[in-house]
Amino acid sequence: MSPKSKRELARQHLETARADLDGERYGDALNAMFHAAEAAVVWLADRHGIETRRLHWVKAEAAERLHAAGMTGEDHGDLLRDLNQGRKDYWYNGEEPDPDELREHLAAVETLVLDAEVLR
Amino acid sequence: MKSATRDAHGAVAPRDWESDAAWRERLARDARRADVNQTPAQRRVTEVLLARAHDLDAEAFALTGSTARSQRTAISDLDYHVIGPRPSRAGLADEVDIVATDAGRFWEKLRSGDDYVQWTLRFGCVLFDRTGVFREGMRVLSTERLWPDTARKHARLSSHRRQAQRLIDLGDRDAAQEQVRAALTSAARAVLLDVGVFPLSRTELPAQLDAIGRMRLALALRAVIDEVLSLPELAAQVEALDAVEQATIAISRSLPSRA
Repeated sequence: MSPKSKRELARQHLETARADLDGERYGDALNAMFHAAEAAVVWLADRHGIETRRLHWVKAEAAERLHAAGMTGEDHGDLLRDLNQGRKDYWYNGEEPDPDELREHLAAVETLVLDAEVLR
Repeated sequence: MKSATRDAHGAVAPRDWESDAAWRERLARDARRADVNQTPAQRRVTEVLLARAHDLDAEAFALTGSTARSQRTAISDLDYHVIGPRPSRAGLADEVDIVATDAGRFWEKLRSGDDYVQWTLRFGCVLFDRTGVFREGMRVLSTERLWPDTARKHARLSSHRRQAQRLIDLGDRDAAQEQVRAALTSAARAVLLDVGVFPLSRTELPAQLDAIGRMRLALALRAVIDEVLSLPELAAQVEALDAVEQATIAISRSLPSRA
């Protein structure tokens, strides 16, 4: 079986995040949103020759560059940074995420995933 | 909470909180250590964050994690512990992780056995301590012989494992490796603390585990830190959590019933 594309993974993580949010599994939802956002950025960046390597901050910068180049409707750099910090706060420091903030993030992640899905 | 057990690495720092001169010496020593352990680019990131923390009237600021221990790898974050508002990471070209709490939460965490707060006090490079909160934290840590409580780490292991398994099943190798690494790191910290060894930075944990005879967990953690593993290999490393989870069940059974 061939590995899934980042585009496909982004959609699957997004749907997982939505189900987790509906099920009030906020830490899990945060994690899934982060992975959805990163997978979408990597998919888009790869198609535009933008470096992402394996580092989260490079992916956040790639999101900014994608927006600057007109490839995404919004600049998602801070979204990636906030999700990354939020999941670390949750997994390593036991800080519970704010559900209202997560709902806002979910809408932003969905926009990003839709941007990725435009490109085949 | 049990009494502090001093391990071979000197778990409790010297009583450098006792006098102004000793504390000034600690701050000077920490500043030198931070300077030596960072590249010029990392120093610039730290300087920017320090300035931003000052501007926000933060009470205290420390460099923590693998950089403070001079044990960085290619995937290491630059870790900071701030008492005060979280300074912005805008425009910083590095993997920055900032734990920021107010002083009230700092004390709550210290008293409740949070290991990260104790880590900062024991091993962090304190770069400023405007209100003396870290110095007072050191005094409490030392005089009350505080030791982290691992109950929450054990309780969270099943969530870590579920997340790791979910990502493996989904087929996202990159995400799965990171989650397996987080799960094994958390398990390693719990296991070490349970036997009275204070966990150092992540790359030092496998050697600490070897030293207490937890070779399987050490091997798995080393693999997820040093190698890029396939999904089946990651699934195999998750099994290293079995023994830790069995110990967790034994611990929970030995606790008095709430009924």
